[in-house]
Order: sequence, then structure tokens, then C-alpha cells
Amino acid sequence: MVKHENFKTCEQSGFCKRNRAYADNVATYGNTWASPYTLDPNSVRIRHGYVTGTVLKSLKSGGQAVQLPVKLAFLESGVARVTIDEFKRQQKDIGLRHGSQARKERYNEAAAWALVTDGELDKSFSGEESEEETVVRYGPKQRYRAVIRHDPFSIDFFRDDELHIKINGRGLMNVEHWRAMVVKVEKGKSEKKDPEDGEDESTWWEETFGGNIDSKPRGPESVGMDISFIGYQHVYGIPGHASSLSLKQTRGGPGNYEQPYRLYNSDVFEYEMDSPMTLYGAIPLMQAHRKDSTVGVFWLNAAETWIDIVKQKVSSNPNSLVTGGGTDTETHWFSESGLLDVFVFLGPSPKDVVAQYSELTGYTQLPQQFALGYHQCRWNYVSDEDVKEVDTNFDKNNIPYDVIWLDIEYTDGKKYFTWDPHAFPDPLGMEKQLNDQERKLVVIIDPHIKNVDNYAVVKELKSMSLGVKDKNNKLFEGWCWPGSSHWVDCFNPVTIDWWRSLFTYKSFQGTAPNVFLWNDMNEPSVFNGPETTMPKDNIHHGNWEHRDVHNINGMTFVNATFEALLHRDPAISRRRPFILTRSYYAGSQRLGAMWTGDNLAAWSHLAASIPMILTHNVAGFPFAGADVGGFFGDPSKELLTRWYQAGAFYPFFRAHAHTDTRRREPYLAGDPYKEIITQALRLRYSLLPAWYTTFHSASTTGAPIIQPHYYAHPSDEAGFALDDQFYVGSTGLLAKPVTTAGAESISIYLPPNTLYYDYFTYTIHPGTGSTITIPTPLDKIPLLMRAGHIIPRKDHPRRSSGLMRYDPYTLLITLTPEGTANGDLYIDDGESYDYQEGAFIHRNFTFALNSLSSLDFEDEKQRNKGKKRREYVRQMDRVRVEKIIIVGVPGSWQARKEVRVVEDGEGRGVEMGFERGGAGTANVATVKDPGVRIGRDWRVEF
Amino acid sequence: MGRLEALLIVGFAACFINAAEGPRPRGVGPEFARFYESTDTFSCISSPSIQLPISHVNDDFCDCPDGSDEPGTSACAHLSSLSPYTVGAVPIGDVNTTLALPGYYCKNKGHQPSYVPFTNVNDGVCDYQLCCDGSDEWAKVGGIKCDDRCKEIGKEWRKLDEQRQKSASNAAKRRKELVAQAAILRQEVEVKIHTLETEIQAEEIKLKGLEANLAEAERQQRGKVVKRPGSGGKLSMLAQLARDRIEELREALIEVRSQRDMSKGRIAELEGILTTFKEEYNPNFNDEGVKRAVRGWEDYAARDKPTIGDEAHDRDLDEIAKPDSETGAIKWNEWEEPEESDVDVLYKIEAYLPAPFRDWIDKKLRDLRVLLIENGVLAPSSDVGSSKEVEEARNALKATEDSLKNNRNQLNTHKEDLEKNYGADDVFRALKDQCITKDSGEYTYELCWLGSTKQISKKNNGRTTMGNFVSIDSVTVDDEVPPDGKGLGSGVRVALRYENGQHCWNGPNRSTLVVLACAETDELWKITEEEKCVYRMEVGTPAVCEVAEKAQTLKDEL
Repeated sequence: MVKHENFKTCEQSGFCKRNRAYADNVATYGNTWASPYTLDPNSVRIRHGYVTGTVLKSLKSGGQAVQLPVKLAFLESGVARVTIDEFKRQQKDIGLRHGSQARKERYNEAAAWALVTDGELDKSFSGEESEEETVVRYGPKQRYRAVIRHDPFSIDFFRDDELHIKINGRGLMNVEHWRAMVVKVEKGKSEKKDPEDGEDESTWWEETFGGNIDSKPRGPESVGMDISFIGYQHVYGIPGHASSLSLKQTRGGPGNYEQPYRLYNSDVFEYEMDSPMTLYGAIPLMQAHRKDSTVGVFWLNAAETWIDIVKQKVSSNPNSLVTGGGTDTETHWFSESGLLDVFVFLGPSPKDVVAQYSELTGYTQLPQQFALGYHQCRWNYVSDEDVKEVDTNFDKNNIPYDVIWLDIEYTDGKKYFTWDPHAFPDPLGMEKQLNDQERKLVVIIDPHIKNVDNYAVVKELKSMSLGVKDKNNKLFEGWCWPGSSHWVDCFNPVTIDWWRSLFTYKSFQGTAPNVFLWNDMNEPSVFNGPETTMPKDNIHHGNWEHRDVHNINGMTFVNATFEALLHRDPAISRRRPFILTRSYYAGSQRLGAMWTGDNLAAWSHLAASIPMILTHNVAGFPFAGADVGGFFGDPSKELLTRWYQAGAFYPFFRAHAHTDTRRREPYLAGDPYKEIITQALRLRYSLLPAWYTTFHSASTTGAPIIQPHYYAHPSDEAGFALDDQFYVGSTGLLAKPVTTAGAESISIYLPPNTLYYDYFTYTIHPGTGSTITIPTPLDKIPLLMRAGHIIPRKDHPRRSSGLMRYDPYTLLITLTPEGTANGDLYIDDGESYDYQEGAFIHRNFTFALNSLSSLDFEDEKQRNKGKKRREYVRQMDRVRVEKIIIVGVPGSWQARKEVRVVEDGEGRGVEMGFERGGAGTANVATVKDPGVRIGRDWRVEF
Repeated sequence: MGRLEALLIVGFAACFINAAEGPRPRGVGPEFARFYESTDTFSCISSPSIQLPISHVNDDFCDCPDGSDEPGTSACAHLSSLSPYTVGAVPIGDVNTTLALPGYYCKNKGHQPSYVPFTNVNDGVCDYQLCCDGSDEWAKVGGIKCDDRCKEIGKEWRKLDEQRQKSASNAAKRRKELVAQAAILRQEVEVKIHTLETEIQAEEIKLKGLEANLAEAERQQRGKVVKRPGSGGKLSMLAQLARDRIEELREALIEVRSQRDMSKGRIAELEGILTTFKEEYNPNFNDEGVKRAVRGWEDYAARDKPTIGDEAHDRDLDEIAKPDSETGAIKWNEWEEPEESDVDVLYKIEAYLPAPFRDWIDKKLRDLRVLLIENGVLAPSSDVGSSKEVEEARNALKATEDSLKNNRNQLNTHKEDLEKNYGADDVFRALKDQCITKDSGEYTYELCWLGSTKQISKKNNGRTTMGNFVSIDSVTVDDEVPPDGKGLGSGVRVALRYENGQHCWNGPNRSTLVVLACAETDELWKITEEEKCVYRMEVGTPAVCEVAEKAQTLKDEL
């Protein structure tokens, strides 16, 4: 059970309580509430692509209004960005208490970590200002319009003249300005509290939680804003939480949460299901979706953040073109410190929102091929002999895997960069055995460095002062796995250089090039800290308080490790790093994979893993997975088997287990479980060409790797809340993992006017906007194929993905009733960066008019014709297509025994088989060994 | 799928190799050659009704549901009983889709032929362990070239094999010695049994004599005149002393009891603290000190605790601690002024009689009394002090009884020992109580034959019992034997079960399965923790040498 007492509720988090109270108070005013924030019309300047001005916050207590400089930037991609700062803090014109060394400004470097670009400003933008409002038209064909009202300050965002998003429409904007602490005499309580002056001041200057005191040297400084999605009933995103894909309301009521969704990266032990409680990572991106329209916001702030969600039924909204009423989703965001920095995406499709967001924060890394294979992990494989034996056992049982993992026990007394000399006397020998089958080793390195004598790493950390400091600017000391520890401060560029030096093969002895990394505990987890993390008044590089950077901290650590791995090999033979992280922020997708942390061997956790992973997929971090089998506890064999069947469809596919659990490697499962698990693993491996192509697409467009229903069918309202079935990229593969015990059948929802085939039996399932039921004995994975796709596959099972490199392809074609299908295939060497110099093959397959063609995905002109490409194409030239399976062919094909293959202008006849489907099953034709080469142009005439 | 390895070394294949050296398709072993003899068609082995043109054999496309058309490629490697859906592409019905062939056949000229799993054919890795001729990579994918290394590998293997043979013959010799030792040990036991039996017989006879002696001595004793038990004054003095003493004990009892109650309270408080500690500590933090404390507490809490003072017991104590009164247990007053019993009156009569008559009466009375006592009419006077003769007779009897009992116990133990299972030829009798150890990681592991298994920490010398010997058993193993011969190999192996070791935190009691294989010397090869606190030791010992051979023969016959 999760220990609730270790983590704050909103009431226990000063600024959360204050901002919620602000909202409650505003609600008591109803329509009479006037937000005290106005945009000074005289300050408004319209430039090329952006607007600046000063928002004035009037104080009830009188006195000079607080000046809040605002900048609205409008990007070519159609994204609008609203940034609000505070003049006095900007000018460092404030005093800090307790002689604090902390920076005086609001934290303004979150963008530097999260974004890869600020985006090109929109040159075609036009703006006009009147006394009441400033109106900006921007985006492609000036499709978008932002109406900035001056008094009170608010912004309405329109697309095609339809209102979609309102900022400060409810007047919940709250920027806690700097003030000196005054010791007040008790004054009478007013009946109706003014949200600004009458508010609860008890947490302005100091907060205590679980015996830890937060000294808050800058006093209250939170930023809050309401963002309403007009006419939208569903919102998604803001991972990570163990919640549904379609987010729930958070202000109480039946089926709703009482607490806001919280984003404050934490090591939550035995986290609970269906909860808005914070978890290990934070991506403050939210999408709102309704029939045929998707919009979104990105709240760029690294401090503790909470989000309240309320859905309001509206009889008819005068601002919306949606007639007859609908539902608005009203959200309220607040962060403890930093800038108020919001990005607004106006869609119109989920694809557009994710693409715009990914363009800003970076696309997901194109991982090495092995990373998409199966990962075998456990806390702990206890010795190098143990690792070798597990490796051998996989081979003896003909079960494929790519990576074996070492948890913390491989180290000498939890000192990272060392090996336990008794248990791991020969790490290089172990790595060689793995490398013989192109397998890899992943070892864990955490950000806490053991504070002990005779340990070079901590000695250097101390002498070079590269650790996080406490509030007195002394090296911070806390407790984690090794006992007393210090934490590396990866905000510091010098730390990154130093960290890089620790990973060289010479420095980290016992590591070969097939060793990769796992960064855990980087929330950071501090066993004796408040909420199991760092005190907020700790100081990082640049004198930023930990409070300001907390949610980004984990990403900076992975960033340092990424740099280190990148530079292990000489520049000419650089390979893509692989890092798994537990903590993450917007932008972490550029650096590796994430998993959902320490789950439990329970059916509920298996079920929850799917919406959790889907949420990460639509929030720009698709390389996500959950521990297969469940971390804590011993799964039943049925649960373990079903978990493998589900895990085969996680973008990141790793089994992991706690040290107190029994061993559960697949070969130990016994009959019939071992065989069934093996089949699930082989299914994953045979579909690796499709997975890799999907990852490539994610790395260039930001598209989710597994796609929820609303993403794939944005018009089908019945499926907007579906979060237990999903597609693999754009392959048309529709999976619905079994997540209940003893399931004899499962229902799958199929949208109207669609057609599906069972992946294994080719049973026909027409989609009618209702559910179909298919039987699910233990060996059945519910997997359908949507008609109209061409899925690349490799049918030869091998010991690891690396050994499949030159195996022939199978093309699996599912025909629409019109007889069409298409798909693509991306291949490269799966490890280097040569693909950036053109060393890849990307084919576009089209089936139409009884002809299948393979053409280059790229246009001839854009194609890189460099040396690396030529070498790669030559190397792959022998790789062929071994069979083409066409599902859903007309019965008339039975008579055809031969098809004509045309490659390099030469035609030849090739044998084709035909199998009549019978009742409810599709006819299938198979072209046997067309012999065409995967990298070339060819066509097959049927 | 299945255990291809079991079939990898086909020992007898070598004799056929010349006879079957026809134009077999690639990857076909001689024992399957007959299926591939036809020159125009091929019938799938498990489904002969499916006939293919011969050109379909080894065309790298899977046609047969049992994969038999692709003995030399990996095209059918995906087949298993659970993948009935696609052979080439098309779903098929109830056909057997288990692979018909054990794998890709490597001829390995110069060494021993063997089968490589189909998944390994043309995957770009030279699997020399199974296929020293490198023929599994005939397609040279990605430019790989696997040279034929059978000559050197075969040579090396033969060298090692020779060593193994030598070692095996040494081991067999050593086992003979062990068996001889065991026989001697057994003989020693048998001799002991014989000696004990003789001794016991003698003692039984002796015992009878001593019993008679004692009876007579006691008879004499009973007849003796009993001196008047002390005067009434002495008895009341004794009663007074006893009364004081009991009062003292009573007070002491009350004091001890209140101390006990206080301790009980403190224990409850401590247990409360520890219970909360256990519930509230964070197991994820893995602080060894904390974990150890929790573990200790759990062990403590799991043990059967003696109930300290249940209610009934307390009521008894209440009763005992009451001061003796009119209604109390002992009525002291009655003792301080003793009443005379009938017997006493009888004794007193003699005082009034003349001396000769008194002697006559005395003798008669004594006889009568003995008679009455012997017939159970009168109780023997408890206050009769034993005479020296009786005491001596009793001691002699007791000593003989003890010795007899002891000898009988010993006899039983030895007899049981003879019936105990010491393995084939009684061989483990020779090893009993000997121990062997092995360093592994941070521990030294110890195996004591038919004793216990232990894990000894190198850091703090802490000893953890991993099981106590329970039984001799057998298990089937399937391991490869490394070149040094220190491995179990495959087949049925003798195993020793050690159970009920120290309790494991969050787990069962520790247990160890000790699997034995023939070796020249006793040696602990490998220790693994198969599951939490379930250990497996792989041990070489000459003790099982012939047994293993027998098991092997048995298996071959099957």
C-alpha cells in the first residue's frame, strides 16, 4: 500500500491550497468577479511575430500595481506562447531571507532544458490593437486568431473563427508577487475573503512537512492560470499518473477525484491505481479532443505543479459554434515558482498537436534496434556466472532476448562505476558471451554518490564541487541505497564533462561497447528527504533553488549520461546511446526510454499499464513500458503469461522483479506457459520491422508508437474514452491485451465502416461501431489487422534481434473491400548515426489495381547519395522478400497459380498459392519467394 | 520445439556415417536419410500425404507443417505446437506442427556430428560448440565465414576426453575404495550390534538376580520395628518451620509475580513498537540494518511463544498466594497438635506388656504387618528410612537397568543405521560427516555429507543453515558438460535433499538440492539460488560414479 502520509495532499502544499482557495473564492463572486490583472494598453507593442506588454496586477491593499511583463510569441508552426514574468524579480530588486544564496529571478531556464528550439516566428502574422483588445491573426493561412483582452487580461484562441481555448476566462490568474515579510498584528476576519489580500498567509514564509522545514527564502511566488477548452469533453496527457487515458474531474463528486492531478517527480513506493497522485515523471502537456478537433496546451514550468479539471455542461455556448450545447473542460494550473509560460496548440488533429509539441521539445530518439527487443531484468542477477547461465538458458529453450540487466547489487557496496569483486570478477568475459549473440548488458547508475573514503568518484565530486548544495550552500548530504550520499548536479556543464569522463571504457573498467545504462532514482529519491526527495531550498548550479528545477532534475541526469555514452566511442563510430530513466520531463523523449516504475504483480497493475503507456504516447514520450510480471510480489503463471502477451505490445518491453520475489525467467514457467510466453516473444520479434518503422516515424513526426482510439479515429466519439485497446503505429495492428484472470473471451470495440481480420486466423470482423467478442484461451493474443495495410515482418526466429539483420522479409497485406492497401518499411544498421547520412532503406508499399509496388519513400531529389548510403545499400542488397501474404483476396484468385514479378525492368513468373477462407474467414493468397530485393524498386502483378 | 540438446550428440551416428554417405540434402542426419531418397518428390515426414516437388526441399521456404522440407535452412524454425496458424502463410487445421527434425545436422568430420537448432542456421554466428565444421553458416550472411575447425576442436576434445576417461577410471577406483570403506564401516556396526546383543543378554540375566536381591532386602527392611516417629513436639516444630518457609515462599512468589507482570507490560510495549516499526518502515530503502531488524522481529514473532501466565495459571497462582487460613489449603493447627493414628495406638500397646511376651508380640505383629503390607491391606510407612543394604541393592539394580537401557538404545540406533539408505552399495556411509566447501561471491558454502548445508559469510563469518539432510533421491538433468568435465551432463542423477534450514525473510525455510555427478574427487562445483532461499548445489563425487552409469544404461535401454 502506498504511504499517503509520505506525500502531500493539496491542503498540505501551501501554494496548492492558496490557489484552490483563490478559485473557490472567485466562484463565490460568480459573474461579478473581476480579475485584478489588466494589460496596460499603452505598453502593448506588436512586433514581427510577437507582442509584448505589461500586465498590471492591482492590489486591494492599494499601492502601486505589480508589473508583470508579458510576451506573446506566434510561431510559424501555428503555436502560440504566452510568457509572464515579474518585473521586480527580473530586476533582482528583492530581498531574500535567511541570507539565502538563491537566485532572485523567477526560474527562466526551463525552456533551455525542455525545448530544442524556440520555434520560427510567424512572418505572415498580423496584429491590431484597440483600446479594449489586441487581435492577432497567425498560423498557416492565418487560420488562427488570438484575442487578447486588456481589462481584465485574458486571451481567447480561435481556429477558423471558432473559439477553442480561453486563458484566464474564469479569472483564476494568480501571480504571487514579491513582498517583504511583515509581522502583522491579528486583524479581524472579513466575511468574504478577497482572494489576494485576505488569503491564507500561514504558508507564505515557511512550510513544514513530515518534520522537514522549507525555509522559502523568497516567500510566496506561485503562478496560477485557468485554461478552458470550449466544447471539449475529453482531455488527455499530463503524465505520469496511474489514471485513465481520458482524465477525470478533480473537484469531487461521484467517480471524480478529490485532489488535483499533481506533477512533482517522486519515488512513490507501491503506488496506487486510479489516482491523481504524482509519480516519477512529469510532462505538463494536455490535449483536448472532440469530434474532428484536437487542441492542446503545454505548461512549461519545472516546479511542483497541480492541475484541477472540471467539466461543465453548457446549455449553449455563445462563443462556440457548436450548437445545442455541450461540455467545456475547465482546467486550472498552478506551479510553486518560476515563469508562467504556456504554449497553445490549435490542432486540428491529434497528429498536429503532437507534431507541434514534438517540434518544440524534440522527437523521440530513434533507438538502437536491440532496444525494441525483449529486456530481461531482475533485482538482481547476482554474479557474472548467474548472468551467463540465464543467457545460456534462454538459448537452450530457444527463447529470444536482446538485453540482460543488472540492478544495484553488481556494484562494490553501491559505489557506482565499480564491480563487486566477489560476485563479478570477470564482467568483460560475461559481456563477451552476451556479445557473441549480439546481446547487450544494461547496468544501473544512479545520481547519488556514496559518501565514503577511498572512493575516487565522491572524492572528485567533493573536490570539484559538482554536487547539489543545501540551503547553506554546503554540499548536500542525504540517504539513499549506499547510505550517506551526495547528489551530482547535472545542471552544471562542468559536471557533465566530468560525468562523461567516468564512462570511458578506461575509466569504467569492466564495460565493453555492448554495455548500456539505466538511470534510476533520479526524481531524485532521497530516503530521508521531504516526500522522499530533496529539500526544496537546496541549491543547484546557477544558484537556482531545487524548488525551481525539481521536475527537470531527472532529465538533466539522463542528459549527462547520454552525453557520456555518446562520447565513449570515437566520433567516427558513434553509436546511439540507450538509457532507461525513471524520472522524466518534457524533452526526455530525446534521450531514451521510460518505464512506469515500481508496479505490483497484480491484474489491476497489468490493466493500468495500458492507459499509462498510452498517455505517455500521446504526450510525446512514446518509448514507454511497464515492468512485465510486476515488480513487487510473485505473479501467478497465468498473470505472468498474460503480461508477456501485453508486454509484447509495450514500446519498451522489459520484465523486472524485486529481490524478494521468486525467479520468473520465461524458461522457468513450465508447460504450457513457457511455450505460450515464447510465442508472445517471437511475435514481438517477428514484427520488429514494423516496430522499428513505427519508431522511425515517431522520431521524425512525434507520432505515438502505440495509438489510442481517439488518435486513430478522431471522428468516432464512441471511442474517445477507450484506453484498453490500441494500434501499433500506423500498421493497422489493433491489440487488446487480456488483463483479467480466467478470461475466456474479450470484447473489442470496432469503429463503424471499417474492416478487420484476426492476425492469426484471418477471421473477418466488420466494424460497425460496436464490440465484437473473440475467445481468448491462454495462448490467444487478441490482435486484429485493419484492412488496407501492408505489414513488414520477419518470420525466422533468432536468438536476438541483431541476428535477424539479413533475414528475408514477409509482407502481410490486408486488403480493403476495394482491394487496396499500403504501408512502409524503414531499415538502417540499427545502431549508428549513419542513417543521418542516408544509410537507410525506406520503402513505400502500395497495393492497388491488383499490383503491389515497392518504391522509395523519399523523393529522388532529396535522397542522400553519399558513401555511407551506397555502402549500406550494397550490404543489404542480398536481403529479399521471402513471401507475400495477401489477406482478403477475391475467390476468383483461386485459378491463378502464378504472378508476374518485375524487378530492374525484368519480368518473371512466380508461384502463388491460394487458400479459400470458408465461413467468416478471409481468402488468402501467398506469393512464394518472389525473390525481390528489399532495397530495390519492384512490382508484383496479380 | 523441445529439447534439441538431448539429441545433439548422437553417439551411434558415427557408425552409420559411411554407410549413409549418399547425396543427402543439406542438414539431413543419416537417420533421416531415407525420407530424402526420392529424386522427384518429397513427402513431409509427419504428414506424408503432403507431397512436394523435390525442388522445394531446402528452397528456404517452409512448405511442410512439420518443417521437414527445410532440413538445411531456418525457414521452418518458427514452427511449434503453438503456432498452428501459419506454415507458409495459410492457417491449417489439426495437422501436427511439431518440427520433425531435431535440427540442422553438422557432419563435423574429424569430430562428432551433432544437430544445431534451426534458429541458428545462417544467422551470422559460427556456432562452433555444436557445429565445428561451420556448415551452419553456409549462406555466409553479412559476409561471415565459418572455417572448419573440427580438426583442432576434435583434437582438443579427444585430449580432454582422454583425460575424462582417465579421470573416470580414477573415480571408479576411488568409488571402489569408498565402497570398501563403507563395507568396513558397516561391518563395524554389525560387530557392535553383535557385542551389544551379547551384553544385553548378560545384563538381562544379571538384572533378574539384582531384582530378587532388592526384593529380599526390602522385605527385611519392611519387617523392622519402626521407631516411634518423633514426639508431638518435634512434629509441631517441623510444622512451624514449614509454615514459616511456605510463608517466605509465598511472599517471594508474589514479588516475582509482580516483576513478571511488569516485564510482561514492557514486552508488550516493545512488541508494539516493533510491530509499528515493521509496518511503517520502507522496505524499498533497503537499509541492511533495518532489514535485519525487521527480519529478526519477524522470526521472533513467528516463533511459538510460551504463554506467560494465562488466566487459569494466574488463578492457580492467586490460590497459591493466599495466606493459609481456616479455609486454606493447609490447616497448620492440626499439625501442631497431631492426632494419633490407629497404628500408633497399636504400637503403644506393647508398652503395657511384660518383656518376653512383648518380644513375642513384637515378632508376631511385625510378621502380620509385613503380611498386611504385602497383601496391600496396609500402606508401607512412608517414613521408613532405607537401610544400607536396600540402598545398595537398589543402586546396583539401577546401574544395570541404565546400562541395559543404554545398550538397547545403542542397539536400536545401530540397527536403524543398518537399515538406513546410504545409497547404492552403502557408499555414502564412507562420506558421512565429511564436509566440502566452496567460495562463491561473498560467501563460502559448505556441504556436509548427510549432515547439513551452510552459507558462511566472508564478511562476518555468520553461518546460515541452508538445510538438513532428509533423503537420497534422483533428478533428471540436462546440462552441457564443460571441457573440464565439472558439470552434471544429462540423464538421471543422484540427488540429496536437505530441508528445513533457517527460515528465510519473506520466504520459506531454506532448502538445498544437492545434485551429484561422477568426479574424481569430492568437489562443490556450483551453487545457485533457484528461487528465493531454494538452493541447488552441483557436486562432483566418486561416490555416484557407477550409479550414474547404471542410470545411463537404464535410460539407453528405455
